[in-house]
Amino acid sequence: MQRLENAYGRLLEVLALAGCALIFGMTLMICADVLLRNVRIVPGMVGLEWANEISEGMLYLVTVLTAPWLMRQGQHIRVDILLRAVPKPLGWAMEWVVDVLALACCAAITYYGARAALASWKAGSMSIKTLITPEWWLLSVLPVAFLALTIEMLFRMRRLWLGPRAPRDDAVSTG
Amino acid sequence: MSWQAAAWLMLGGSTALLFLGLPVALSFLVINLVGALLFLGGEAGLTQFARNSVGSVASFSLTPIPLFILMGEVLFHTGLAVKVIDGVERLIRQVPGRLAVVAVVAGTVFSAISGSTIATTAMLGSLMLPVMLARGYHPTMATGPLMAIGAVDMLIPPSALTVLLGSLSGISIAGLLIGGVVPGLVLSLAFVIYIIARVKLNPSLAPKTAFTEYQGWQKLRPFVQYVIPLVSIFAVVVASMSAGWATPTESAAIGAFFTMLLAALYGALSVKNLVAALRGTAAISGMILFIIVGATTFSQILSFSGASNGLVELISSLGLSPLAVLAAMMLLLIFLGLFVEQVSMMMITLPIYMPLVAKYGFDPVWFGVMFLICMQLGLLLPPHGLLLMTMKGVAPPQVRMGHIFQAVLPYIAMSLLVLALVFFVPAVALWLPKALL
Repeated sequence: MQRLENAYGRLLEVLALAGCALIFGMTLMICADVLLRNVRIVPGMVGLEWANEISEGMLYLVTVLTAPWLMRQGQHIRVDILLRAVPKPLGWAMEWVVDVLALACCAAITYYGARAALASWKAGSMSIKTLITPEWWLLSVLPVAFLALTIEMLFRMRRLWLGPRAPRDDAVSTG
Repeated sequence: MSWQAAAWLMLGGSTALLFLGLPVALSFLVINLVGALLFLGGEAGLTQFARNSVGSVASFSLTPIPLFILMGEVLFHTGLAVKVIDGVERLIRQVPGRLAVVAVVAGTVFSAISGSTIATTAMLGSLMLPVMLARGYHPTMATGPLMAIGAVDMLIPPSALTVLLGSLSGISIAGLLIGGVVPGLVLSLAFVIYIIARVKLNPSLAPKTAFTEYQGWQKLRPFVQYVIPLVSIFAVVVASMSAGWATPTESAAIGAFFTMLLAALYGALSVKNLVAALRGTAAISGMILFIIVGATTFSQILSFSGASNGLVELISSLGLSPLAVLAAMMLLLIFLGLFVEQVSMMMITLPIYMPLVAKYGFDPVWFGVMFLICMQLGLLLPPHGLLLMTMKGVAPPQVRMGHIFQAVLPYIAMSLLVLALVFFVPAVALWLPKALL
């Protein structure tokens, strides 16, 4: 089981690195758009008109690709005042309540996200902005990401079971 | 279901889950699932909720969040941040509490090129605190200015949290970013005046120590070589926004690109530290954006359930004057700041506050700047202020938590005074956005 958990952690690392590459790519793309729009260095080319729309998609992908990795790192911020105030065994018990709620939430969003993507695919819904793309392309990433989160929640509960009988030291701010 | 019951369920439920220790994003998502089931038409509502989740972060107005964070991360990981302190220190002559003054000025400069309050406090704390303590500074005089100026980072652009506030509230992001500059600078100036006055009255707080006074070019070199080019990034961001070449979002990308370009020109950028900066950026922006996934739908359901309108009507029916309502809103924010971190403060209050702002006709940028000052206060308020913990984390053991609590009190008082100043003199926040935009 430990090897499986480690291997899954490496997969989450790869997803996070993809998120990093998207942020870097987004920076360069938006700059290229501004440059081409204000300084006409390429004749006949007035900016990258699709840059905004692609950036929006990239931002969404960064969010969902990094979410399971952040869960592994314990970096999804939370308020831990009460957890720290109560006796450690009670704090540990509260962690279980929280984990069960989180697991159920992630599983439910996986299910309903998949239904939304499937319905969109069946209906042939299109996203019509500057680019015309099938709506399910972005919708389908949501259930995949939440499935990854659901699996990570199971590993997180395993770590809670094997760890000390006390609350975790997760992040408490974005800074 | 009555709006009162809906309000209790949505606002009370999310707050209870937050205090139970559920991650902020998941607290909102859990309540959204229940809310979608009850108020959006059962299963169809749940499917719609999943669909809304995609739209909540696929928004161009949110792209400055990772881009502003990237600017600060590149500066830290390439070591350029440290050069700012050196550049400022050589310029400041012998004044009472000189090192504390250097910390405030360097922190202000750094605020203009970084969007992270914790990073600024941690950097100043780890670099300057040991030096101040070694030179006999009292722990309160050594730690107070560092925490206070770290909090000011939130007011001076670039600031990722300001972008988030603008995006969630619908207030002009450019207006908020520029509106925070004057109150931020007023605070910095107040801190410097306070330090000098306090040390003049009680010199033992910061003993006068010898320092190498450079002359001529040697005095100016690090300032010209590092500080001016780095601060020019701030100028590029603000100029591109106010000149209309780029939207606030696009100016953030330009700022991030220039930061990387400068780091490369200094020979400080390597693949290793670029990847480290990008990982830091992905982590901080990922956690903020994931909260937005839950928060956007939360506001929608709260509004759809009738709770938002009900609460707004209830407050209106109390017959309070608009300024009394505004003052109560700010007091509630300061109270929340005692327990809750900044993103949650926005999530909990904005769905109710923004309809009130519209109803009473408050200037949104004025309101937003006061909101930012309250959030900045939240970082400093004992016992849970985040920057107090950050400072304790980087301080040597002789600095006790009691020193830190005591140290921060005058700066909290100054922040409250600046909040009152903006409250009674809105031009402090509004004239610069009006002049530039």
